[in-house]
Amino acid sequence: MGGLQKKKYERGSVTNYITRNKARKKLRLSLPDFRRLCILKGIYPHEPKHKKKVNKGSTAPRTFYLIKDIRFLLHEPIVGKFRDYKVFVRKLKKAYGKTEWSAVERLRENKPTYKLDHIIKERYPSFIDALRDIDDALCMCFLFSTFARTGKCHVQTIQLCRRLTVEWMNYVVAARALRKVFISIKGIYYQAEVMGQLITWLVPYQFSHDHPTDVDYRVMATFTELYTTLLGFINFRLYHSLNLLYPPKLDSKAECELKEENEEDYALNSECYLEKLSALSASLARMVSSAEEEEAQLDQFPVEGEDMEKLEAREREQKEQEAQKKLFDGLKFFLNREVPRESLAFIIRCFGGEVSWDKSVCIGSTYEVTEETITHHIVDRPNASTQYINRYYIQPQWVYDCINAKIVLPVEDYFLGVTLPPHLSPFVEEKEGDYMPPEKVKIMALQRGEKPAQEQEDEEEEDEDEDEEEEEDDNDDEEEDEEEDEEESEEKNLKKMEKQRSQGKSLQVKVTPGKMKVENPERLEQEEKAEEKRLAIMMMKKKEKYLYDKIMFGKKRKIREANKLTAKRKAHDDAEKANKKKTRK
Amino acid sequence: MAAARRLKRVVASQPGFLNFKSSSESLSGRRKRVNKNKKKSWNKHSDINDVEEFLEDVRLQERTTGGLLAEKSDDSLFFLDVGQPKRAERKAAEPIEGKKRKGKTPRPLRIDLILQQDSLIPAPKDVLAYQQPNAKKLRRISQKAEQLAAKGVVTRRQKRLLSRRPVTKEAKKSDTEANNNPNRDYYDIWGQEQSTVKDSAEDWYLQQTGKKRVKRPEKLSDRPSVLPAVEVIAPGGSYNPDFFSHQALLKEAHEVEVKKQKEEDKLERQLAVNKDDTATEETVIREQVEGLVEEEEEEDEEEAAHDEEDEDAEGGSSLAKKKTERQRKREKADKIKELRRLDSKRQMDHRQQLFQLRSIKASIKQQEQSTEDKQKIRKANQEAEKSQPRRLGKLKFQAQDLEVQLSDELAGSLRQLKPEGSVLKDRFKSLQKRNLIEPRERAKFKRRHKLKYVEKRAFRAIT
Repeated sequence: MGGLQKKKYERGSVTNYITRNKARKKLRLSLPDFRRLCILKGIYPHEPKHKKKVNKGSTAPRTFYLIKDIRFLLHEPIVGKFRDYKVFVRKLKKAYGKTEWSAVERLRENKPTYKLDHIIKERYPSFIDALRDIDDALCMCFLFSTFARTGKCHVQTIQLCRRLTVEWMNYVVAARALRKVFISIKGIYYQAEVMGQLITWLVPYQFSHDHPTDVDYRVMATFTELYTTLLGFINFRLYHSLNLLYPPKLDSKAECELKEENEEDYALNSECYLEKLSALSASLARMVSSAEEEEAQLDQFPVEGEDMEKLEAREREQKEQEAQKKLFDGLKFFLNREVPRESLAFIIRCFGGEVSWDKSVCIGSTYEVTEETITHHIVDRPNASTQYINRYYIQPQWVYDCINAKIVLPVEDYFLGVTLPPHLSPFVEEKEGDYMPPEKVKIMALQRGEKPAQEQEDEEEEDEDEDEEEEEDDNDDEEEDEEEDEEESEEKNLKKMEKQRSQGKSLQVKVTPGKMKVENPERLEQEEKAEEKRLAIMMMKKKEKYLYDKIMFGKKRKIREANKLTAKRKAHDDAEKANKKKTRK
Repeated sequence: MAAARRLKRVVASQPGFLNFKSSSESLSGRRKRVNKNKKKSWNKHSDINDVEEFLEDVRLQERTTGGLLAEKSDDSLFFLDVGQPKRAERKAAEPIEGKKRKGKTPRPLRIDLILQQDSLIPAPKDVLAYQQPNAKKLRRISQKAEQLAAKGVVTRRQKRLLSRRPVTKEAKKSDTEANNNPNRDYYDIWGQEQSTVKDSAEDWYLQQTGKKRVKRPEKLSDRPSVLPAVEVIAPGGSYNPDFFSHQALLKEAHEVEVKKQKEEDKLERQLAVNKDDTATEETVIREQVEGLVEEEEEEDEEEAAHDEEDEDAEGGSSLAKKKTERQRKREKADKIKELRRLDSKRQMDHRQQLFQLRSIKASIKQQEQSTEDKQKIRKANQEAEKSQPRRLGKLKFQAQDLEVQLSDELAGSLRQLKPEGSVLKDRFKSLQKRNLIEPRERAKFKRRHKLKYVEKRAFRAIT
């Protein structure tokens, strides 16, 4: 046969991929620079489907990139800047070596720098795109802002991160966008809803860093570099959407209040403003005065059928949200010095409460401990030294649980020295039939507006209460039984009559006053529905019936498991109670 | 000048004049007679040395002392020698000098000192240095301009100058500040979307000058993994967890640990020395005796093996016998017959299939069902794969340890809470898990030159 012999590995999937080293050489960059460029531009390695083909017959593990991506990178202006930087470093080293200080100074002045604005615009063509990708940015900025300012990364980066996170928190406070908080052993998870997007972020506890050695700080710093730029632009846009001034300014009124004689005690003059902002105790200045804040009513469109239901559901949800936003309106909090100030101040302000702390803890406290109007004093110690009568002394978990429950919970479970109820994760969404911890059930009951039977109980009365509870449980069953009983009694009467008749006795004719049969319309409806369901099941095809049975079986199994868990829990609780009693005796 | 010179001469001729140089005019041999009637010979033979010397001496005096010594007053020439100045004064003066030196006042360079003028006679004035070329003309022009300005007349030239557009002097292109400047300002980057629809001319210009951005490929906007950026910890990871969710989390962590342990055990087992491979006493003895005891049986065996091989060779040659013509024909006929039989059978089957329609249908249906099921499973697998970390480099992704606090580690209150795990590591692992970066090991530090150990002298002194 004629023609040239086909060479191997010159067509097909090989042509789509390029190894990392080749890509690096094509771009004429060092490996760290290449890595940085890829992160900034959002170009990630790929795993080819047929590695052996792509790797020219070798099965050695390699990092591959798409060749088109690398070609796209060739057009990036930042690549030039990287090369410039390399030259700059070389020159600087040389000048240092020769101890030419004037040259060093001159080089320093002309240090090549670059901006990432165009990359942000390119990667996130619209604002919503950017907002969807903000989770990572927030996590990273919050993380970096807690770093100590020692060597691990640039101090400037830390400062910038701090500034951006403070701005973000201030925005969330101003927009009242916070939805959920979860205190985990890792850090605190927050979830906010901004412009319809659910945004989750994780904030580490303060001062909790042991720098792990197996983390590449350079990579993290590069991500942070990109994310700080992104977050800055997003903040700008968000502030303007609320008519707030950006860079944030404190309200003029608030600013006067916060003016103190000895500000230098807290921070340097240059950092004072940021510190005040980060105190989160004052509202921000708006471009237009907020006096005519009007609540826009949703337009009502006539719809029918299912849409109607959806609409109603949505409206209900919206109302709920509105209520949640005003959760702490009118409440005045005071934070003791041992509670995590920033987190608590942030969430309390997010839901409309007022908050203050001791002057010596942080700048920006608005009122003193002695203030008469304080409603809640948050303490995290077994006992408080001086107690004022007209306020609740509670543990910090109360605030978090209130937010997750979306109602102001009763404070009794959270008094000082009381064993706290468990802090449940708001990120778990139980489906019907799943096991729910009793605390959650209680909270749900409270949300529905029911008053729990056992309020303000003392531990001595607990046993009695338990009995009551059981009785209550029984009551539900009894109700069902009642009707059956009625029917039975009627039947009995009839039988009696028949017996008497058969015995030939004259019937005891007696007219008893008629009782009105109470018809419960709800009950009837329910019965009708149940009947319909039963009929529908009967009419099912064999195949469908099989499927239906399977589903029902699964559901029942789930319920059974849930019941088992609840029973276990009860046993556990009882055991604990018994233990407690023993120890008391 | 002339008067001064004369004066000098007069002074010098006087008997009290002192010469700097000792006079040396004693060399006088026989006088030679020459005519001095021509100017040339006059010039040649008249002796002016004494005059020259004298003038030289005067110049030297003037240069070094600023005038003739004879004219100086006694006070300026002599002083009363009273020994060395007092020490105290010098000491007082020194520290000031020292301070100066600390301040690093630049000491004049030696070359400057050499070039400095050390003559006490001022240099003659350079007249040209004070002259201005075209001074007269310029003066005239300026006078005229002043006159015109007084009258309020603006010349044409001035008008032209004024009418020229002022050059907007661009400030030096401001350096792009560093990206991590904490005070950097932001703007509405998404605000100018409407204005980006520019006229095509601009577009064309940018394209031609190579300033237009290359469009980002669409495909780059999809994420490499479907996992969310922030995975919330299980409810058992609460600082004050519900009992059962905490138990569930503990169980999960336990299972992970068990799995790890199993793998480790397996590896250990594989690495362990096999008991059969260890030497027993018997094998040791056999090894020691190897080759010393002759065994005849082995030889016999070897011979037997040889015989077998020979036989095999003979059998192989006998197989390659030629077939006869008849045999071939028969084989061919058999083959054709077999083919016919198969063909007829196939036709029969075809005909029979008409009656098997139902079963065929059923089987087809079954097949379809099975392919559909397989497709579903495959699709599900593919979906699941999307959330899995890919193999992007040398190393496989390894999930970090689950953050768990045991029941006795749980803190009763927020104040006593001990954070578990590191958020930094969590973020890093999350990036790896979402295929944004490849997992890799930290680069090892390589020393270029070997370290050299030297005992310190102090150490040696002790031992």
